[in-house]
Amino acid sequence: MKHYKLAIKFYKEKGPRHDKNLWNIRQKRDKAIKEIDKWEQLRTKASEIKEYVIEHLEELIEEFTKNAKKQGIEVYYAKTKQEHNEIILKLLKEKKAKKVVKSKSMLTEECDLNEFLKENKIEVIDTDLGERIVQLRGEKPSHIVLPAIHTTKEEVAKILNETNSDPTYLTHKMRKLLREEFLTSKAAITGANFLIADKGFAVVCTNEGNADLGVTLNKLHIISVGIDKLLPSIKDLGIFLRMLARNATGQKITTYTTIFGKPTNQKRVIILVDNGRIKRKKSEFKETLKCIRCSACLTTCPVFRRSGGHAYRYIIPGPIGSLLAPLVDKEEYKDLPFACTLCGSCEMVCPVKIPFSKQLINMRKYVTKNKIMKIAEKSIHSDKTFKLFSLILRLTPKPLLQKAFKEWSKYKKLPNIPQKRFISL
Amino acid sequence: MKIALHVPCYINELNPQIAKKTLLILRHFKLNVKVPINQTCCGQPFINSGIPTTLPLKFNEIFKNYDYIVSPSSSCVSIIRNQNLEVSNKTYELCEFLHDILKVKDIAKNYQKKIALHNSCHSLRHLLEGAPSELNIPYFNKIKKVLGGNIIEATRDECCGFGGIFSLKEGFISYVMGRNKLDDLLEKKPDVITGVDYSCLMHLDSIAKKDGDKIEIKHISEIIWECLNETL
Ligand code: SF4
Repeated sequence: MKHYKLAIKFYKEKGPRHDKNLWNIRQKRDKAIKEIDKWEQLRTKASEIKEYVIEHLEELIEEFTKNAKKQGIEVYYAKTKQEHNEIILKLLKEKKAKKVVKSKSMLTEECDLNEFLKENKIEVIDTDLGERIVQLRGEKPSHIVLPAIHTTKEEVAKILNETNSDPTYLTHKMRKLLREEFLTSKAAITGANFLIADKGFAVVCTNEGNADLGVTLNKLHIISVGIDKLLPSIKDLGIFLRMLARNATGQKITTYTTIFGKPTNQKRVIILVDNGRIKRKKSEFKETLKCIRCSACLTTCPVFRRSGGHAYRYIIPGPIGSLLAPLVDKEEYKDLPFACTLCGSCEMVCPVKIPFSKQLINMRKYVTKNKIMKIAEKSIHSDKTFKLFSLILRLTPKPLLQKAFKEWSKYKKLPNIPQKRFISL
Repeated sequence: MKIALHVPCYINELNPQIAKKTLLILRHFKLNVKVPINQTCCGQPFINSGIPTTLPLKFNEIFKNYDYIVSPSSSCVSIIRNQNLEVSNKTYELCEFLHDILKVKDIAKNYQKKIALHNSCHSLRHLLEGAPSELNIPYFNKIKKVLGGNIIEATRDECCGFGGIFSLKEGFISYVMGRNKLDDLLEKKPDVITGVDYSCLMHLDSIAKKDGDKIEIKHISEIIWECLNETL
């Protein structure tokens, strides 16, 4: 089903509440970023750093790998998601792990790791509250920072077989259930928000602390991370830490910010994942590699707020998803760049200034092969043919016009067409 | 100063009065305004549909010898401004031109009706005729300054859901967004809703008409002309 159909279904069930909740978060974000006088300059700086990273990606990967190894971290490079999944399987088998706890990783979702490990009889437990909720519901996250924003507390009570739908009560119950999982797992997988090339560090920002708990309790810590998460230097980190949480949820900083370096009493492995990123670097969509996954563009998007994330069908929904999904499967996701009014709000909130308006138009071009429109474009160069179109418009009976513009006419009145034009026939 | 009036093709087809009023406004300020009659379309519908187009080049050819090109449509203007053409930086949206170049203000200060201004996305976020809530910059609004008086704005400065091709592909969400925008504005009990983009206004009007809201919706050029005409 395409976006427009899924959007209708979602809106009728949950749209107004979803829209309101996310708009509240947008407002919290607005307040938080306005506490920083030089916010707009920070955006420019962050954007420049990320541009540098894209230009020097290969060198930075090399530098990071060298420095991480110096710290005693094992580093792998996975070209594809299959390679990534195989590396993890091998590592888990070595540890004879039948169960693994996971936190904070959109990348493992991108690689369909859960399904892969399940096929290989390894149980994956998502430990972040929202992610665990969607996992138990047999769904994918609908938002990259608020994965269960599409669910209600009653729905959460139901999956936990509870009649009490008080959020605090449910959170405690979930906490108790997850404690068991933490204590019986053999390995922890996390993502990372940033990789620091000049130090070989991985930085993880969370609110619930599950990543830290999982890592502390296990002998094996695997970090799955996209190569686009690199930053040149530890000096750059401050800029991004100041922006990330404020822009995502309106917090000054996430509750936990952990810098993982040298492992003590455990094995730490970092898998640097390409999965199309180097190819994207060479394409007209390379600027999407600047994304730090703050999720602000999803939260602000007026279409996303009303359609919900699942209408996008890709693991990363919303404006940034509409730029990424068609690169994975052009035919399947060709509707996404059009699920957008080009309002430009995403571009204004993006901390790394991805030029969404341009990129979304380029993505529309990338997925479009409309012959009729191309002929129309040719003919409209001449004012004579334009006048012909105009005449046809005026001679077409209204019911026919309504049929031609049926998505409009279903919900709105067609405007009356005046007899005379300004620059006239 | 040689001025050209750009007549957006959809305005020419659907509400030619707006072009006429814009011309009258510019002439009111004693400007030498020409209307090139071979103009067609700036290319916006094609660009936004992902169809390669050279229409902006044609626009450039037609208009490049003027000092300023004034257009009653911020979406067309932002298409032109985003190209790297001779005309790019001398093409202005009407209110932007009144504010930046002619430096007029308070035209509608004594307007009898309570005005609600719909800040369209192209005006607000693409041309920065005002401060969008997403940015950390001081509040300003050029259109409100040009109008003067007590102007109502929506609580949320978000998109009204028109989006050109979007309204034809996602009719339902387009409708919901428009409905939300109308409710936001109507809550403040205006007599008239206006804005610089007739495309948004037409979308809002067709929802108001279908849903039976009694509200007058008209393009800003009509209000400005009414005010100027009265003071004559
Ligand atoms: S594209 Fe920009 S706003 Fe969207 S998630 Fe990425 S960094 Fe955040």
